[in-house]
Amino acid sequence: MLRIKNLRCYYGRIMAIKGVSLSVMEGEIISLIGANGAGKSTLLEAACGLLPSWKGEIDFQGNSLKGCDGPAIVRKGISLVPEGRLIFPPMSVTDNLKLGAYTRYRKRQHAEVARDLEMVIDLFPILRERANQPAGTLSGGEQQMLAIGRALMARPRLLALDEPSMGLAPLMVEKILDTLQLLKKEGLTILLVEQNAQAALKIADRGYVLETGKIVLQGNASDLLSDVEVKRAYLGKDYEEFYEGRD
Amino acid sequence: MTRDTLTPEEWSQLRLERLQTTLNRAYRNVPFHQNRQNEIARKTRRDPSLIEDIREIAALPFMERKHLGEHYPYGLFAVPLRDIVRIHTAPGASLNPTVTGYTRQDLNLWREVVARALSAAGVTPHDILQISLDFGLANWGRDYKDGAEELEIGVIPNAPLSPDKQLMVLRDYKTSTLVTTPSEAGHLADLMFQAGMNPTATNLKRFILVGEPVEADFRNLLTERLHVETWVHYGLSEVPGPAIGFECAEHQGLHLNEDHFLAEIIDPVTGRVQPEDEIGELVLTTLTTRAFPLIRFRTGDRARIIPEPCPCGRPLVRMEWLSDRTDDILTVNGVKVHRDQIQSRLARALGFSPDSRYFVTKHPGEKKYLEVWIGMEYSFFSDEIKDLEKQVDGLVETLRENLGVPVRIRLKEKASLADILSESGI
Repeated sequence: MLRIKNLRCYYGRIMAIKGVSLSVMEGEIISLIGANGAGKSTLLEAACGLLPSWKGEIDFQGNSLKGCDGPAIVRKGISLVPEGRLIFPPMSVTDNLKLGAYTRYRKRQHAEVARDLEMVIDLFPILRERANQPAGTLSGGEQQMLAIGRALMARPRLLALDEPSMGLAPLMVEKILDTLQLLKKEGLTILLVEQNAQAALKIADRGYVLETGKIVLQGNASDLLSDVEVKRAYLGKDYEEFYEGRD
Repeated sequence: MTRDTLTPEEWSQLRLERLQTTLNRAYRNVPFHQNRQNEIARKTRRDPSLIEDIREIAALPFMERKHLGEHYPYGLFAVPLRDIVRIHTAPGASLNPTVTGYTRQDLNLWREVVARALSAAGVTPHDILQISLDFGLANWGRDYKDGAEELEIGVIPNAPLSPDKQLMVLRDYKTSTLVTTPSEAGHLADLMFQAGMNPTATNLKRFILVGEPVEADFRNLLTERLHVETWVHYGLSEVPGPAIGFECAEHQGLHLNEDHFLAEIIDPVTGRVQPEDEIGELVLTTLTTRAFPLIRFRTGDRARIIPEPCPCGRPLVRMEWLSDRTDDILTVNGVKVHRDQIQSRLARALGFSPDSRYFVTKHPGEKKYLEVWIGMEYSFFSDEIKDLEKQVDGLVETLRENLGVPVRIRLKEKASLADILSESGI
């Protein structure tokens, strides 16, 4: 469904993503894990049209995303749940959700948008209680639910999430991940970028480990979950110890 | 994800992803690979790990058997030792043996690879699978056991049994599938007839032949004499592992497990990649191995990639495995023996480097063995036959232990050694 091939992203002259290839098949949950600064968010931004330029190929459902901006990519079917949620604090919960369907109003899909609003509120019942409350007054977990709900309002085929567990209590993380599994069962494809490797891999089909802009490990999520190297990559530990006792 | 469920484009993407990951990990974790890639980067001003197409691997240098010995014991491991769950030793190309390691994921990989190959040979949980391999192929014995267990096949693991005991187990335990080398298969067939055992009275119905290419005549002979079907598997004996290539029911070449290995055929002299369908040396790159990645490993085996699709419908490419090698390594019952290693072992045992010749011999009714002819030197000579016999026995034991193959030594007059060899046409 999403195919990234030989992706290179630059910040000035610094190459942040160094020739990464990654694929997401329809109906899969893919976890992209790695330490802070590994390049996970940059990769996601490139795929979601938030980086001004990148080299390589990104195809979604057989069509190149080269030159597409954020709204164009949303229209093609990719929605991003950004790191830190980036909700609109003074606006009500309902208005935040409706903003997620921004690209659909122009297509006069008002009735469908209203139905989807109900669907999202059914998915996260707490949002019904908070419907008229300013989004900024919600707890961290509720804000995350709102951010996911807002992304779903665009009716994506692929939902990309950047660190959805960040700053949340373990119980809330579990709830969010349960929701992602539910969405998968309903046919949604998910690309999940996480530092919380254990949690992310538990619900994923496959995973990739990114380190300093390169994929250094990949495979079935169950294999990666039991891999001590994953923990090491996640923690970003020094690799000097690799050479101990080898000579 | 399997090849069967992927489109050609998805398949190509999967292999590129795996190759890039392998190169990144090798660069990051193995100084040997890092230094070689840095060397290329200096020359070409391009990072060789930034391969954008799987064919670009041709720009990377080859790995050879000598490198395995040079980095003894753990220098080529790509994971810390605490991640290793199995360590295996095989005779190497130098005085140092080849030491390879497996992570837990590697063991899963080999289980899957072997299970796939056994399935293709029609082995099912209704079968009893017996493994009979020489000491030098002990790691394959373990991998076949794991792969068969994955399919819930009853396994009789590899054990150092005498040929008579092997036959007894084969008959009494109702073995239906025997994993062994062609040499051993021929030997067992001879023994069965010598012992008056009627092959049709046993449950034996298939041989999985490993370690050596098999001539069509020999296969026909086995089929006729024992009424069994033969299946050939290709693998690497010193480094992991077996069943990299396997036959399907069509018996028209060996399917390569392309999701785990990248195969190239090169001109053994120039090192250039050969066009499809040309005969050359098989070069392998691992795509999923964690502990011991191989990057463009020269196998020394002669092979040809068969470009036509297989009538069986499997999308995995096939290769024809040809007899003879592109290097001077000897294959004794599937175990690779390097001439330099024999000479080094002799020199170490004798205190000098003798004039010697080596070849693989087989007498009717026996297994293949390594025959070593040594030109007699004054310092080695003794007028006591017992002393000479003791020295020879010691040499045989040293070679057998280090090479993992049966050995016989013959002492020859040094001056005439070359003449004898010449007359023998060797």
